Amino acid sequence: MAEFFATLKSDFIKCFVTKNRWTFITEGLSTTLKITLLSCIMGIVIGLILAIVRSTYDKNYKEMHGGIGKSLLAVANFIANIYLTVIRGTPVVVQLMIMYYIIFAASDNGVLVAVSAFGINSGAYVAEIFRSGIMSIDNGQFEAGRSLGFGYIQTMLFIVFPQAFKSVLPALANEFIVLLKETSVAGYVAIQDLTKGGDIIRGATYETFMPLLAVAGIYLVMVIFFTKLVNILERRLRKSER
Amino acid sequence: MNDNIIKVCGLKKHFVGGTVKALDGIDLEIKRGEVIVIIGPSGCGKSTFLRSLNLLEKPTSGNIFFNGVDINDPKVDINTHRQKMGMVFQQFNLFPHLSIRKNITLAPIKLLKKPKETAEKEAMSLLKRVGLEDRAEAYPSQLSGGQKQRIAIVRALAMDPEVMLFDEPTSALDPEMVGEVLDVMKELAQEGMTMAVVTHEMGFAKEVADRVIFMDGGKIEEMGTPEEIFGNPKSPRLRDFLGKVL
Ligand SMILES: Nc1ncnc2c1ncn2[C@@H]1O[C@H](COP(=O)(O)OP(=O)(O)OP(=O)(O)O)[C@@H](O)[C@H]1O
Ligand SMILES: [Mg+2]
Repeated sequence: MAEFFATLKSDFIKCFVTKNRWTFITEGLSTTLKITLLSCIMGIVIGLILAIVRSTYDKNYKEMHGGIGKSLLAVANFIANIYLTVIRGTPVVVQLMIMYYIIFAASDNGVLVAVSAFGINSGAYVAEIFRSGIMSIDNGQFEAGRSLGFGYIQTMLFIVFPQAFKSVLPALANEFIVLLKETSVAGYVAIQDLTKGGDIIRGATYETFMPLLAVAGIYLVMVIFFTKLVNILERRLRKSER
Repeated sequence: MNDNIIKVCGLKKHFVGGTVKALDGIDLEIKRGEVIVIIGPSGCGKSTFLRSLNLLEKPTSGNIFFNGVDINDPKVDINTHRQKMGMVFQQFNLFPHLSIRKNITLAPIKLLKKPKETAEKEAMSLLKRVGLEDRAEAYPSQLSGGQKQRIAIVRALAMDPEVMLFDEPTSALDPEMVGEVLDVMKELAQEGMTMAVVTHEMGFAKEVADRVIFMDGGKIEEMGTPEEIFGNPKSPRLRDFLGKVL
């Protein structure tokens, strides 16, 4: 038994203390969090734009009078649909590699590559979250706004979006958690995130057990933490609905 | 000088590619200050007609003149006309994310560019009129149905409309709350507001209406004073309808 702990201790020292190897974990973690947060923000911006285009099209297109506005909306909706189909129809790792080897081939800024890939990917999923949020608002709310004299955009801005945003907040927070785990494939394109950090230690020490378990443990703790946060948020929101 | 506030000519509205003729040729003039009550069996097109008046429902054909302007003309900015046409819905449609005060002041502040203080002062005096001045900070979910509907009326009145449209304003209410909403509407009528009211409250129609319109199958089947409609109905359909509801 004592022997076991002694080995464990020496393994631990080898993996994390010697040559300051723990910095692979901490720096990797900071890269992972940076990529997750930035892609999440990018995803929300892209998702919001896509959702506005798609729900505007669904709600208004048939009623619109012909003209430049109608044609623009049709084109925007067409592009949005292609975006959604392509992004959701291909693996995120492949998208990441395309970003790295083709689009940003000249750049060695790993975070930029990862944020672009994951942000663009997340945007497609966030778009559907926002759209379902917008669609979940009773049409009576929309009509009440219009009957007071608000235009389409004003009604969306003052009446529909605030309610829709509240109803999708938990789903958005969930998307953040999904992204956190999804970014673990960033190592494919030489980005040193948390997973890659553990992998580097594994390669240097020929120890598999410690570094991988440490990495898994850190992901798990973060996911549990953020899930708790989402639950608290959900409860708060429900309370404010009364 | 014509004193018609609303004039409807040959109004038709078809749904589902023309298979449902919700409105099948309506002609009507509404005078300033007049109270019109629209009655008729379920599905006859009452809501569709009322909602066409402010273009929430886009007519298939026909014209709707509001203050002499054909608001169905694509070149007309419908939003500015809607500001002058208040609407009250069966399901209230208050904004649940805003306090009562904000529900009422949102449109006057954003659309009429009223200073916040002015809008809030006017909101308070309107709330006083309907006996709800103490609920300004509450949220819609904290109110009873009757209170919600009175707030919805106030919200529309805050825009200082020239005409008020009511689509079955008391149909979603518990019976004991119907009276408080009808009282507000009666008062409004006495003050000279032009009103078009779809309702199943025949008592209200008899007491308040200047003119009662009986619709059936997307058409105006019969029209007259409450005395004529309820005392001396001519159309067999109207007689049949009144036999069921009275
Ligand atoms: N959006 C729609 N799509 C298809 N049909 C519709 C639509 N709205 C109304 N209709 C049809 O048009 C007709 C008139 O409907 P409307 O709601 O105006 O009747 P109503 O007189 O208000 O009835 P109620 O007393 O039940 O409210 C009905 O046959 C209805 O089914
Ligand atoms: Mg109706």
